[in-house]
Amino acid sequence: MFITGKHLSRRTALKGLGVTVALPLLEAMVPAGAAAQALKGKPRLVCIENVHGAAGSTNFGIEKNLWSPAAVGRDFDLSAGSLQSLEPFRDYLTIVSNTDVAKAEAYSTAEIGGDHFRASAVFLTQSHPKQTQGSDVRAGVSIDQLFAGRFGQDTPVPSMQLCIENVDQSGGCEYGYSCVYMDMISWASPDQPLPMIQDPRAVFDQLFGLGATPEDRRRRRREDRSVLDTITAAVDRLKRELGVADKARLADYLDDVREIERRIQKVEAANSSGEERQLPNSPVGVPDSFDDHVKLMFDLQALAFASDITRVFSFKLSRDVSGRVFPGTGVNTGFHNASHHNENEERIKQFEKINRHHVSLIPYFLDRLKRTADGDATLLDNTVVMYGSPMGNPNLHNHKRCPLFFAGKGAGALRGGMHVKAAAGTPMANAFLTLLHGFGLDDLASFGDSTGELSLTSAGATTMAAGI
Amino acid sequence: MKKFLIALTAPALLGLGLAAQTLSAPSSAVTRPVTAPSPASQRPAAMAAHQVAHTSTPMSLAEQTAVVKTYCVTCHSEARKVGGLSLAAFDPAEAGRAPDVAEKIIRKLTAGMMPPAGARRPDEATLVSLRDALITRIDTAAALRPNPGWRPFQRLTRAEYVRSIRDLLDLEVDVASYLPPDTITDGFDTVADGQTFSPALLDGYLRAASQISRLALGDRSASATTASYTVSGFQSQMGYIDGTPFGSRGGLAATHVFPADGTYRFTAKLVRTVSGELFGNTAVAMAASKELLEVTLNGDRVAVLEVHQGMSDADKGGLTIVTPPIHVKAGPQQLAVAFVARQSGPLDDLMTPIQNTLIDTRYGTGFGITSAPHLQDVAIGGPFEVTGVSETPSRRRIFTCRPTTASQEETCAATIVRTIATQAFRGTVRPEDFGDLMRVYYQGRKQDNFEGGLRLALQATLAHPRFLFRVEQRAPTAGTTRIADVELASRLSYFIWGTAPDSALLDTARAGRLATPALVAREVRRMLADPKAEALTSRFWSQWLRLQDVAKMRPDGLAFPYWDVALSEGFTRETQLFFEHLVREDRSLLEMLTADYSFVNERVARHYGIPNVVGPDFRKVQMPETRRAGILTQGSTLLLTSVADRTSPVQRGKWVMQVLLASPPPPPPPNIPAFEATKAVAAGRLLTVRERMEQHRNNPACNSCHRVIDPIGLALENFDVTGRYRIKDSGSPIDVTGELYDGTKVDGPIGLRDALLRRKESIMLSFTESLMTYALGRRIEDFDMPTVRKVIRDAAANDYKVSSFITGVATSPAFRMSAAAPTETADSRR
Repeated sequence: MFITGKHLSRRTALKGLGVTVALPLLEAMVPAGAAAQALKGKPRLVCIENVHGAAGSTNFGIEKNLWSPAAVGRDFDLSAGSLQSLEPFRDYLTIVSNTDVAKAEAYSTAEIGGDHFRASAVFLTQSHPKQTQGSDVRAGVSIDQLFAGRFGQDTPVPSMQLCIENVDQSGGCEYGYSCVYMDMISWASPDQPLPMIQDPRAVFDQLFGLGATPEDRRRRRREDRSVLDTITAAVDRLKRELGVADKARLADYLDDVREIERRIQKVEAANSSGEERQLPNSPVGVPDSFDDHVKLMFDLQALAFASDITRVFSFKLSRDVSGRVFPGTGVNTGFHNASHHNENEERIKQFEKINRHHVSLIPYFLDRLKRTADGDATLLDNTVVMYGSPMGNPNLHNHKRCPLFFAGKGAGALRGGMHVKAAAGTPMANAFLTLLHGFGLDDLASFGDSTGELSLTSAGATTMAAGI
Repeated sequence: MKKFLIALTAPALLGLGLAAQTLSAPSSAVTRPVTAPSPASQRPAAMAAHQVAHTSTPMSLAEQTAVVKTYCVTCHSEARKVGGLSLAAFDPAEAGRAPDVAEKIIRKLTAGMMPPAGARRPDEATLVSLRDALITRIDTAAALRPNPGWRPFQRLTRAEYVRSIRDLLDLEVDVASYLPPDTITDGFDTVADGQTFSPALLDGYLRAASQISRLALGDRSASATTASYTVSGFQSQMGYIDGTPFGSRGGLAATHVFPADGTYRFTAKLVRTVSGELFGNTAVAMAASKELLEVTLNGDRVAVLEVHQGMSDADKGGLTIVTPPIHVKAGPQQLAVAFVARQSGPLDDLMTPIQNTLIDTRYGTGFGITSAPHLQDVAIGGPFEVTGVSETPSRRRIFTCRPTTASQEETCAATIVRTIATQAFRGTVRPEDFGDLMRVYYQGRKQDNFEGGLRLALQATLAHPRFLFRVEQRAPTAGTTRIADVELASRLSYFIWGTAPDSALLDTARAGRLATPALVAREVRRMLADPKAEALTSRFWSQWLRLQDVAKMRPDGLAFPYWDVALSEGFTRETQLFFEHLVREDRSLLEMLTADYSFVNERVARHYGIPNVVGPDFRKVQMPETRRAGILTQGSTLLLTSVADRTSPVQRGKWVMQVLLASPPPPPPPNIPAFEATKAVAAGRLLTVRERMEQHRNNPACNSCHRVIDPIGLALENFDVTGRYRIKDSGSPIDVTGELYDGTKVDGPIGLRDALLRRKESIMLSFTESLMTYALGRRIEDFDMPTVRKVIRDAAANDYKVSSFITGVATSPAFRMSAAAPTETADSRR
């Protein structure tokens, strides 16, 4: 079970953070370059997981290029499938097709059929979850947490986990699987899944501090500053009363006081350097509309990156077996039912509309990232937005030829403008390993069930040996 | 949860503090035969015969040296250094100069662990004499030059913070939403040098101060936000839940602090099946009357919500139901959200309804097992339309005066600020600090008004280092010094009450009535009689026994459907009440193992097979024959030493060795097969955990340690993962016999208890070292061992009464004095 001391520690640590940093929401960008100057080339990572695979992973879908385009290399055509809306960002796009998530397959007879209750835990870990409903859950360390271990430690919030659906249901799910496998995609260690936050307000408070309105947050910042002054004065006096060792301990504390003061100043400098606008208040509750909810979460992530409060998000878009209907797609069947299309071509096309709709929310985020300067570049240049699913053809519950693409260049980890088609049977983990190496985690010999690297910068469908 | 892998190497065993540390009560300096203490209840007659000899005849120095040379140096030579220890140069006459080595020898000898089984060894009396000679020498030397030790200043732990806020503001706060968790060092969160600082911690302090000051005074400018309460997914909601209205089913009860008078909306979210339908919808469909969810505040019904059969998370509103806006006054209010109960008594399903009701939600939409809707969480949104701030307990506590004219404001503010700061800073407010707080008050006064100023001053007080840090006066640069009386009052208060001293204690300190050990002892008696002394159980005992881990245990739902989280909570409460009883009635510590009674409510009683216990309240009852070994047979310890799907004799053995005997086994070597790799079936039959353990330790290298660890745990095999009594495991009869490392035959929990009682000095040592660690806020070092031994000796003379240990620690030099602080800053860094 995820309710471990360690787990709590992480969650509460997160909760306690970010109080003094308040930024206006939605439109409110930090004025170009103001807060971001120090971040030259600092990579960011967003791992978006969707469930139920894709229409483009069926035989029919592959033939019709419903997900991955026909051509490999630079000259791919997105017009036929779900990725069409990404066309404006094609230079930032790395499509990885034909990789498998074999660790999500059943390993024993008891596991057969339990794909929906196990696959989400596999996506970012590429590890096989232990079938249990008890507290002895086990999968693997997830890619976002490996990234956070390297890049998340300098920021107030090392990493954050967001979700859209109501997935915080602890207890037993079906097929003998604990619900944590279904509900959580980030794993800090093989036995420590990290809970996900659904409420945008909770995300906002953790990232930007308490206070419903900009004035309220400004007021609280002011209060915090007077309190910090009091603390500083008191610590100075205390130091005079203490011995050397205790003094050193207090000196550490004063460093923390200065760090918090610095953060407040940073926010206020950003706010006073011009374009501060009167902006909407922090959100209350969860929006009814899926699209609005997703976009709000994207706003928060872009803001958090711009103010360097965190550099890593994982984001669960949906929940396995969800029956949600997506208005505007023209499909009136629920998500799960639509995914069981019986290999009927018409029904696969219907299902594809749902996939297409999900992907069409991504450009909104990419656009925000691209419009935000980050050092000499833009946030999109320094971010990798990963989008994929641990399932392939949902009708069969298989985990082959799973959907996956990366957008953004991750401060040089990726080049973009590329469709890479892996050799049949290549683990998705190979692509993740290459990405992690691209981020400079060179000491990592393998990831999940990786068998080596999968080049993400050239179209050749080659798999190199591990360690090269 | 980590799996304790099963194997240890032979060399590891030698270094193993294994069952070491039985300390004799008397040293020969204070020759006094130990009379077996007689716990009032249940002392097996056989015990007396089992007592290990503790008296010894004096031994000459030459003899001591000869024993060491003859029996120890063979292995512990410069060349071999078995267990990393050489005794080649060890001179018993100079034991005081090598206290680390001497204390090691003392531990092993008292435990009877050295020389190891199979090696040449003198008779028991010779070894006891050698040990006592070493103890005498060390303790005599220590008495001449006592070293009370030093520690850096402590900061408030989360639990202490909560209690301090409660005392100061009459307010319950959920500290977990503000402060990062405490670091546990040597088993305790009080250990000062493990208490690190970070920007996250400071941020947490600021956030907590800001929010708590608003909650305490009420917040007229509060903006709408949401707070939510969740029902555990492992909580059965088929029956009554404590705190909800009678006649209700499931749901939750909570005390919520409303920031202002205003309207609030309560949003209930219901549990769904994995495919998104309402869990229990068949029950709703089949019922003659509607399923209703009732919202009450302080027992008054404020809303009734209808649950519809067709609800699904594909709907726009999903599985949520919202109340209309409800006007609520500021301050803490008792909220309950529960279903109106529509049935009672046993159900006549063919398959029995289970406790672990959400184990697999699919049956909630099927037929054949009775189910009913379950509440997942309740979100409180608001305040909308704030109308003011009513009187609350916190405001009554804060406003010791109320200005009626503007001219009175300043005097009144000064009074309030001073009163709160004096209590928050544990007795003293320096003029400069008071000045700072008043400046903050004026600033808030200028921005807002009188109350706004006070609120800001309160915020500054709660974030003030003199509140958060328990700073004591500068330790001397050389020699030792007595802790100032007011600071000693704080040490006592945090030790026994887990919170700041009350005014009576501060008055006692200021009047000089803590100046001597006798005076301290008298104050300790008063403090132990105070209800706040429950902190000893909820803080100290819980950490010592690792009770905090009980809440993390989730037994496998399919194997143990009769478990739910209410049972775990009941177990924890049982053990806490048990120790509260030992403190309150000042019983012998040995009752921890010998008690034939415990504390149960209906849920726990049913699990234990005790009849005629009805309702959620706990009461003292006689335990059944099978459960008369104190904490060894309480559900809490049995559960926390299991893994999800089976018992773990290794975990149980390890817990006994680590917690009760202060001798944790070394960690297993790497690359050993997991328990799961053993054969589960043989000859067409499922194997018991014992049989699989035996396969597992066939390897002689593993066996050398496991023959020590496992028999302890195997003696408890009659209790399953959830602590339920059983006579079969996987269909085969359970064998609870075994032989402990010292040759004692055990046969089940009672035999284990008696064997442990033979080693009661080890238990006393473990307990006393832990109690001192907790009380002093630092690790126990070799130079503390004479004090530990003195506390145990004094307690032994007093039938091991709980109060003797507390008083012994509180009156010890280590508690009342401080040595010189280290001058190297590195020592004090994290």
